[in-house]
Amino acid sequence: MSNHQILNPADHGALRVHTGAGAQFGDAVMACLTVPLEFRAVQGHYPIVFRRDAASGQFSALAMFGFDNGENLFLDGDRWDARYRPLAMAIQPFLIGRPPGGSDTPQVHIDMAHPRIDHGGEGTRLFDEDARPTPYLETMAGRLGDLDHGYRQYPAFFAALERHDLLEPFTLDVPLDNGARHSLVGYHVIAEDRLAALDGGALGELQLEGHLLPIFMAVASLGRFADMVARKNARVALG
Amino acid sequence: MTGSIQHVVIVGGGTAGWLAAALLAARRPDLAVTLVEAPDIPTIGVGEGTWPTMCETLASIGIPESEFLRECDASFKQGSRFIGWVDGTAADSYLHPFTAPPPGDMRDLLAAWQMACPDAPFAAAMTPQAAACARDLAPRQRAMPDYAGALNYGYHLDAGKFAALLARHATGRLGVTRIAAKVTGVIAAENGDIAALELGGHPALAGDLFLDCSGQAAILIGGHCDGGWIDRSDVSFNDRALAVQVPTAPDAPIAAQTVGTAHAAGWLWDIALPTRRGIGCVYSSRFMSDDTAHQVLLDYIRAHVPGANPDRLQPRQLTFRTGHRERFWNRNCLSIGLSAGFIEPLEASAIVLIELSLNALIENFPASRAAMTIHADRFNELFRYRWDRIVEFLKLHHALSHRSEPYWLAQRAPDTIPARLAQQLELWRDQPPSTWDFPRVDEIFSAASQQYVLYGMGWPARTNAAPSPAASARLAEVRERARALAAALPANRTYFTAAAKAAPDERLVRT
Repeated sequence: MSNHQILNPADHGALRVHTGAGAQFGDAVMACLTVPLEFRAVQGHYPIVFRRDAASGQFSALAMFGFDNGENLFLDGDRWDARYRPLAMAIQPFLIGRPPGGSDTPQVHIDMAHPRIDHGGEGTRLFDEDARPTPYLETMAGRLGDLDHGYRQYPAFFAALERHDLLEPFTLDVPLDNGARHSLVGYHVIAEDRLAALDGGALGELQLEGHLLPIFMAVASLGRFADMVARKNARVALG
Repeated sequence: MTGSIQHVVIVGGGTAGWLAAALLAARRPDLAVTLVEAPDIPTIGVGEGTWPTMCETLASIGIPESEFLRECDASFKQGSRFIGWVDGTAADSYLHPFTAPPPGDMRDLLAAWQMACPDAPFAAAMTPQAAACARDLAPRQRAMPDYAGALNYGYHLDAGKFAALLARHATGRLGVTRIAAKVTGVIAAENGDIAALELGGHPALAGDLFLDCSGQAAILIGGHCDGGWIDRSDVSFNDRALAVQVPTAPDAPIAAQTVGTAHAAGWLWDIALPTRRGIGCVYSSRFMSDDTAHQVLLDYIRAHVPGANPDRLQPRQLTFRTGHRERFWNRNCLSIGLSAGFIEPLEASAIVLIELSLNALIENFPASRAAMTIHADRFNELFRYRWDRIVEFLKLHHALSHRSEPYWLAQRAPDTIPARLAQQLELWRDQPPSTWDFPRVDEIFSAASQQYVLYGMGWPARTNAAPSPAASARLAEVRERARALAAALPANRTYFTAAAKAAPDERLVRT
């Protein structure tokens, strides 16, 4: 159950939020949404894959953390073992909201049912004594803005990928050291052969629209699966 | 006698004795360490504030921070606040925090302060710690590793419980031998050293090096190994204190710093622990009667501790002579703690002096009796220097006052101000305190401390140039960091309530 509220100092002046990492804060997830403008940062740590929503037919991009539901191989107790956390994780428990009436100005919303909401006084404050946003909230608002901007690029980005037929289905079979196998099914990745075959005109068009860099970052990110397999093997070995 | 030094015998089981035993045993496991304590001697219970050095000390002894905090009823100390020292008016208050000003030329930083925020107190301009102290915040979050914080901190603690924890740790985990007995005599060696101690009904206890941690009794350094005494009461007048423990409500805020409040003929200390406040009235018997001091103490408690009933409290009187040994280390006997010297606890110098003495001993431990004399001479030179600096720094707090009571006028009389301090005050009219004034390794009161007191008390910050952009940027960073820390740090009370709930094993509860 979630409980979304528009963030404001009157209602949330004394509210504190847990900023650490941990399963108890909702970090034990196998993937999160990611947006093209952060692909460069994401690919340094996580594989980026694509998934088509069965109902809407729309694609989205995912940063992968594990091979099973609830498995986050980058979460080690109270430590997130990577220098970058994707925006969709880093902004929790905040959300982007739109005021009713169709205005386009995004608002900061907060999910008061999120496990990051603090009830013991040890989290980080959102507003100071004078109801001004704290540096933490300013940072969060900046990230929400980035994420919102990233979502707005989704339609153009995926339209370009489909126009050039650059997505192909992807299945990963993961043999572990102990003989077990894991597989990831139902995702898409960039079709490298078709990407390599694009002519100069197509490449120039992608470049002009700003899609070329994220496309290559997504290609590069697949090398991170090897790191994830190593992490998985290490956990299996530890029991 | 050129025998190697293998067996250290410590006399006295207070903070000094048990810190000595634990540190020696932890850092020099090749030595045999025996501590003799008389079973019926209570600790003096005044040294209840530490410096940030205690974090390193406890870590090297091997006591987890959560255990220390729990067992000693301890809280965090981020500095000292001085109230009423300049003129005694309502707004008269300044902070001497443990976190130093930003790096860079202090002249430049002073200029930046004067330009950007002249109305902000010096400490608030120079460190985000002032914002944390003003809000009673802890210097760390519980998730941080032991002995690490967002700001420098030491502790307020229950000295009796601290000695008991150290004793358990030293005997149970570090192999220190404890003998409950009273020292009744000294058996001298041919060269005049102590060969062994007579212990009433116990066998005599032989040793190679003897640490006198027997407090004001100074059984060895004031007896067989007489190290002499240098009286400092000509500079430091206070010679009495009335001390009391006041229980506090379980939800009362816990102050983040020691509070020292000036009164007509001395000052009051106020040290907040999770369950009580230790409050004491320090005074000069030349200027104030015991009865008046008692009244000053009760008035303070009535005004500053909500819900306290001062009429039920039984303050304990302490009398002390201010001064220190001429030779702290004489023959094969080294005095550490109150046996070495005593001065009013205005800047909590007692426990840090114990740590500094032990570090000097352990890092220069005499391998043989022949080397011991050289080490002793060096130690004595170093600690005479340190005591001089302590006496001067505490005098600085008094010398900058504008209060007009007879005690305060006497404190400022030129013939009571040490020559070196008088010279420095002359220089500090032109330039801020710097490492040119305090050049030694591990200066007990660094140039930063001097700056906090000097400019905290309204000393004119002479600046004759515009600040550099870098200095202005540093102070802007301090302001930003203050905002961030004020948002991220928990209140002290919240911290200790949560820690108590999580005990004994935080990890089990959290998963």
